[in-house]
Amino acid sequence: MSSKVSVSPTSLIDQIVVPGDVVLDLSNMTNQTIKLGSGLRQDSDAISAMRAGKFSYSKPNKYWVESSHKRYIPRTEDHVLGIVVDYKADNFWVDIKGPQIALLPGLAFEGATRRSIPKFEVGTLLYLRVVKTNIGMNPELSGTDASGKASVFGPLKDGFMFETSTGLSRMLLSSPTCPVLEALGKKLSFEIATGLNGRVWVNAAAPRSVIIVANAIMNSETLSATQQRIMVEKLLAKISD
Amino acid sequence: MEIDREDGRTPNQLRPLACSRNILHRPHGSASWSQGDTKVLAAVYGPKPGTRKNENPEKACFEVIWKPKSGQIGKAEKEFEIILKKTIHSICVLTVNPNTTTSVIIQASNMFQCLFPLLYMMMVLYPFFYNARQPCHDLLPCAINAACAALVDAGIPMKHLAVAICCCLADSGYVVLDPNKLEEKKMTAFAYLVFPNTTLSVLPEVEGEPVEHGIITSVTHGVMSVDDYFLCVETGRAATASLSAFFRKNFQQSQGASSKAG
Repeated sequence: MSSKVSVSPTSLIDQIVVPGDVVLDLSNMTNQTIKLGSGLRQDSDAISAMRAGKFSYSKPNKYWVESSHKRYIPRTEDHVLGIVVDYKADNFWVDIKGPQIALLPGLAFEGATRRSIPKFEVGTLLYLRVVKTNIGMNPELSGTDASGKASVFGPLKDGFMFETSTGLSRMLLSSPTCPVLEALGKKLSFEIATGLNGRVWVNAAAPRSVIIVANAIMNSETLSATQQRIMVEKLLAKISD
Repeated sequence: MEIDREDGRTPNQLRPLACSRNILHRPHGSASWSQGDTKVLAAVYGPKPGTRKNENPEKACFEVIWKPKSGQIGKAEKEFEIILKKTIHSICVLTVNPNTTTSVIIQASNMFQCLFPLLYMMMVLYPFFYNARQPCHDLLPCAINAACAALVDAGIPMKHLAVAICCCLADSGYVVLDPNKLEEKKMTAFAYLVFPNTTLSVLPEVEGEPVEHGIITSVTHGVMSVDDYFLCVETGRAATASLSAFFRKNFQQSQGASSKAG
């Protein structure tokens, strides 16, 4: 093999990385405390990527690999949409599209006591908050916010739930408001709940509004902001005649 | 000095590569990988809760299912499944999702395209006669590459990627890379080799063995001397750089094409 002059890149921030790429060298950063997010793993002094995606950095000290998949990795304080699969001994077992099935204690609702645990049937759709995630244990969920109030959490009635990738749900929850939701909101009135685990629930007075919103969201994954607005305008123009 | 290959390639030249990811709707990760005429489809489901019996619950478990293009599942397919499972165990981080099962399903997608269409038709029409054939060995490196791409698409945590290549030894003692099915029949011996991919690194150049000098899997058929085997390994290792670069570029293009708004 000819000798290759390889120039190691000084920084891989905002670059696409594949598993195995060494993205940070800790021996250069001895006095800092850094936080590693999803997709990174530590191998003594080298931090390398475990997943393929964009290596991102946010001040002051957070690094992570951003990628979009069909499955979800539970993180605390995420808002997710779960489906009840079982009810045993005052606890609900809820599927959140993660590697383990999640536990929802029956008492984790506002005003719940041992005698008045809410009765959810198998298949109920719930909007919940992830409370605990430990390796090897089932994640724990809650139907209240941190102060114990129900606020937005709980069962979602009527409406239509569809599945998306985690990248699309992050985009729907971004601020300022995602272009597709803004464009739809100008003409239609609807209610929407987005789970970071790749599930979206939409409800509106008329079934056709629900279908339009769902189709528009599913189409918008790979489009840029202007393309999304154009797509929504075309969709609304088609059905308004 | 030069070997004449039927399709006009040099001994170290690979067949044209093509890879696409996220092509199937239901699996959590999917990829198709083709090298020349050989094409393999891989699908990944998981991680799902629970492991099978006799598997260590402190680690993630992988199961591989190999579906041949036609015919029954036989011993050759089981052997491929075991080889693929061990390769995947080497490249994936098993401690991140303990007590889960991830299924990898490989579907051979293109049969050996015979130069004589009539003979090909006879092979298709007489499956009982055809089942006595040699199993399609040339699918194995393609399958390993496809499985790796599908695992990346599904987001399964990995230490590094695996690149698989076939090196074979001609009668005259020359090493030839990536033979197609016809060339493989004429060789005295061949080896399937799987190496870790070439990675980008912000670490400064260090003395000692870079990680590409490791080898993950090696499956040999036929008789070759030890020196010839090491020559095959060196030639194969030199080709991993181009396979890794292809994978990286393919992934970057697909990310660029699906540019996210907001």
